[in-house]
Amino acid sequence: MIRTTRRKFLVTSAVTAAAALSLSVMPAQAISPRSETGVTSTTIKLGITLPMTGSASFGYNQLPGAMKAYFDYVNANGGVNGRKINLIVKNDAYLPKQAIQNTQDLIGKDKVLAVIGALGTANNKAVASAVNLGRRGIPSLFVNTGFSGFTDRKKYPTSSMILPSYIMEAKMIGKYVNETHPGKKICLLYQDDDFGDDALVGFGKDYGNVVFTESVAYPSLSQGVPNVPDSWITKFKGKGCEVQVVFGVASATLYTILAAAKAQYAPKWILGSVGADIGSINPATVPYIIGATSMSFLPSVVDPKDEYVELFKDINTQYNKGAKFNSWALIGMNTAFVAVQALQSAGKNLTRKSLLAAIDNNGAKFASAGLVPLNYSKTSTAGYNGYWFGTFNSTGDLVPNSTFTYTPYTTDSGTGAVVKSTYARPKMPAKGLPN
Amino acid sequence: MFEFLNTLLIGITAGSIYSLMAISIVLVWRSTRVVNFAAGGIALASSFVGATILETTGSFWLALPVAMLAGAALSAFIEYFFLRPLLKRSGDKSQEIFLPIIATLGILGIIKAVLHFVYGDRVGVISPPLSDKGFIVSGESIALSPLRLLILGIVLVLMIVLTLVFQRTNLGLSLRAASFAPEISRLSGIRVDLIRTLGWAISGAAGATAGILQTVNGSGSVTPEAFEFSLLLVFGFVAAVIGGIESLVGAVVGGLTLGIILAIILMFLGSSLVFFSAFLILILVLLLRPNGIIGVKGGRRA
Amino acid sequence: MASLELKVVAVHSRHITNRHRFICFALIALVVYILSNIVDEWRAYQGATVAVFVVAIASIILLTGYSGQISLGHGALLAVGAYTAALTQIYFSAPIWICFASAVIMTALVGAILGMAAARLSGPYLAGTTLAFAVGLPSIANQFSILGGEQGISFDAGWPPLSFGESFTQYKWFLWIATLAALISMWWVQNVLRSRYGRGWRALKNNEVAAELAGINLGRSKVLAFTVSSGLAGLAGALLAMTMNNVSPSAFPLALSFFIATGAVLSGVNTLGGVIIGSVLLVAVPLIASSISDRWSGSENLANVLPDFIVSALLILTVFLAPKGPIEKIRSRHSK
Repeated sequence: MIRTTRRKFLVTSAVTAAAALSLSVMPAQAISPRSETGVTSTTIKLGITLPMTGSASFGYNQLPGAMKAYFDYVNANGGVNGRKINLIVKNDAYLPKQAIQNTQDLIGKDKVLAVIGALGTANNKAVASAVNLGRRGIPSLFVNTGFSGFTDRKKYPTSSMILPSYIMEAKMIGKYVNETHPGKKICLLYQDDDFGDDALVGFGKDYGNVVFTESVAYPSLSQGVPNVPDSWITKFKGKGCEVQVVFGVASATLYTILAAAKAQYAPKWILGSVGADIGSINPATVPYIIGATSMSFLPSVVDPKDEYVELFKDINTQYNKGAKFNSWALIGMNTAFVAVQALQSAGKNLTRKSLLAAIDNNGAKFASAGLVPLNYSKTSTAGYNGYWFGTFNSTGDLVPNSTFTYTPYTTDSGTGAVVKSTYARPKMPAKGLPN
Repeated sequence: MFEFLNTLLIGITAGSIYSLMAISIVLVWRSTRVVNFAAGGIALASSFVGATILETTGSFWLALPVAMLAGAALSAFIEYFFLRPLLKRSGDKSQEIFLPIIATLGILGIIKAVLHFVYGDRVGVISPPLSDKGFIVSGESIALSPLRLLILGIVLVLMIVLTLVFQRTNLGLSLRAASFAPEISRLSGIRVDLIRTLGWAISGAAGATAGILQTVNGSGSVTPEAFEFSLLLVFGFVAAVIGGIESLVGAVVGGLTLGIILAIILMFLGSSLVFFSAFLILILVLLLRPNGIIGVKGGRRA
Repeated sequence: MASLELKVVAVHSRHITNRHRFICFALIALVVYILSNIVDEWRAYQGATVAVFVVAIASIILLTGYSGQISLGHGALLAVGAYTAALTQIYFSAPIWICFASAVIMTALVGAILGMAAARLSGPYLAGTTLAFAVGLPSIANQFSILGGEQGISFDAGWPPLSFGESFTQYKWFLWIATLAALISMWWVQNVLRSRYGRGWRALKNNEVAAELAGINLGRSKVLAFTVSSGLAGLAGALLAMTMNNVSPSAFPLALSFFIATGAVLSGVNTLGGVIIGSVLLVAVPLIASSISDRWSGSENLANVLPDFIVSALLILTVFLAPKGPIEKIRSRHSK
């Protein structure tokens, strides 16, 4: 009995080792040196990691559907240089640890060409340092965050931004608040990490120059804990806030509005662009945000005469079954639109290097729905640099005014002034297909 | 002044919901000596049932009882098909508590996985039947709304009903006897196995109510991954232990204590200390009274 | 029943000599070495994760399987180890082994304190306390800015020495380090479990009164078990920080504690021998599940759900069919 037990122990380890061996030999193939990872003669693989479930997923979980819809449209019309785009979506529930895991899987298992639209300031920072994207030459295209630090080419050599930075946004909010509500008590709710801290820089003395009567920093994901948003509102009410800036993710904005309704707290709302479109997530919030201020760099979703809006609406109906056309769909499709141009411009010999070079060399000339210019160059990985300000109408959509005429402003992430933009958006390429 | 009053009101409401969950856990412990983590899953599943009923009939007053029935049924099912055979098997005394806990954890995982699969991205909405806007008292809105009153009312009614059943009826007597001395009860003609299943069923109904109220008191929507339910399970369990896991009154005391103290900490110290404070409260209570606030040293109470 | 077990243990320790054990360990090291040269980065990363779970599961086996104390909070102890390792590296620029050592020591200290409170508790009270610990501890990362909040802090375990060549990837390096750490700690744990401390734990788990009569100081023995178990958990946490290059609260949810406890049951919570089975299962099952769901249907929903479902189902099956773990099951079948 003893001998068999001893043998059993050895046998168990041997069996386990064999199992591990066979498991490992399965899809571990050497990369063919001739073609780039994620690219074959007929397909291009891209990957995205973002919150699809969880307290921070509101709104953002509609982005992949919209992006896929635009990619499907392009695929149905010949693809990019003859290749069809395949988007692999991974859910990280806004948790840095999961974002790291997902990115590892996208690179190691799914073998994508590039990561696109990765969402979340904290997530992107964690991924960049943990997964060594720069050192491994893996592009992180058009990250879904406005943290100004991502334009640092030394730290993030393969990342490109698309959203205006939070410093830019905060500066513009500051200018708006000081001009429109001078002398009033202004209060701020912001996320307690680099996302919110970036905004604080923008509100600072040499930038937007806003003095807040009360600021509350909420830890990321705490908005989902019951009664936490009520505690914020109690604080703001206690200080008698008259103008309330909310610089948080969509779910935080949503919970704030609902908690304020419960406590009958009704200041003038200014909702940061990251989380503004809450009407499309929960229609119950619409009555409370009518007349609230927010900002965007894309045309309004209900703009009747914008050619991009018309195109994207059609694509949404055709390729994104069941999804409403709202600002999340618009943003998703716009990012996909810009991505297709980058892939196109990288040429038939599509590699990670040629993709990054294409954005540097030609990015500033990419067509897009944006009403402010893209700022890619050999020295800059910054995307859009401005916003127009508007208010929410009776259906909860953001509009600039009743005539849909836009007055966008631009600025930089430094101490430069906020000025009216002189950018005239070029005509959309035929059928919305970049040539 | 109003800040403190509001904090208290928020805390009492949250605490009473935790008490319901704690009652659910205490009931299972007392009837079968099992720590039931699947209670969280049962609450979740019942809330989805409630949401579906609400969607189809539009009536909260129909959704709540149906959800309670669903909870009772699911809970009884789990006891009959999973726990009973398990408890009969494990003769090893030292594993008495560990294996059932792990088994209920496994059941929790399965329930969540199935719900996730069936419901996918769909969100179950349970909109409050009454207004959740606070009453206006001397010009200030306070944290007491018709909805809050309803929640407190439901919890109070359930507690009274349970106490009456346990203390005053034959059924309650059988329940207490079956858990305290199963062999003797069998000899007296009490159908112990049936009674135990019944205990689980009542526990399931309590858990279902807690789940529905937690949803209604919070965001109004229930998803399979909803954080509110993890919270409900953890705090419910902690509340049960604080109160002394042998006693229903203890569950209520534990729940209210936890709810109020956490609300105070949330208001005055910020949300990042809330969970750690729950741990500290628990440790402090157990250090001073190792059997919980209402716990009785040594033997078990009927 | 219990006395028969003890007799079997005593007979075992006479005939499975240290030499046999050493051969076993060497065999495992050899297998890992060979594998590490064949597989790609991603598999190496998974291998390192298996090593992490080996240490973590061993810590639960020690605590629950041997000393009979239940802990649902080992995830928090892993967090303590991970943060300690990362902070040591950031603020003292210490070499990696020092970081690991400090992780072990710090977590053992925390475990000793926790153990002192826990020694008085049992059953549901202990379960509740460890549960609250698991949920409460990681969240304080948001309170103190030195801990980096939800974003976490980075743990740079460094790169392999240049003398190993260009193609020696960082993940292979992690696999080597993690395997080495796991093997060393398992060797040490086996020795502890066979020492008089280990026998003391076995005794107090089987019958507290008899153990006390035999002269074992219950309180001290329990606290010691907690301390050693926590030290192990701290090492597992430090290894986890190394493989992820990042330490954040989201890496230590309550689910992690449950996951490790599941792994312990799958391995057989009473014996150390099956620890590799449990850890391989924990890492392999999600992978197998996702490739199954990829092949069967493109439904993302299924892909999300299948891993958890299979793990939970396995857990329930194990609890029903082989409550003492698969190894004990095979053993007992053989002895019949």
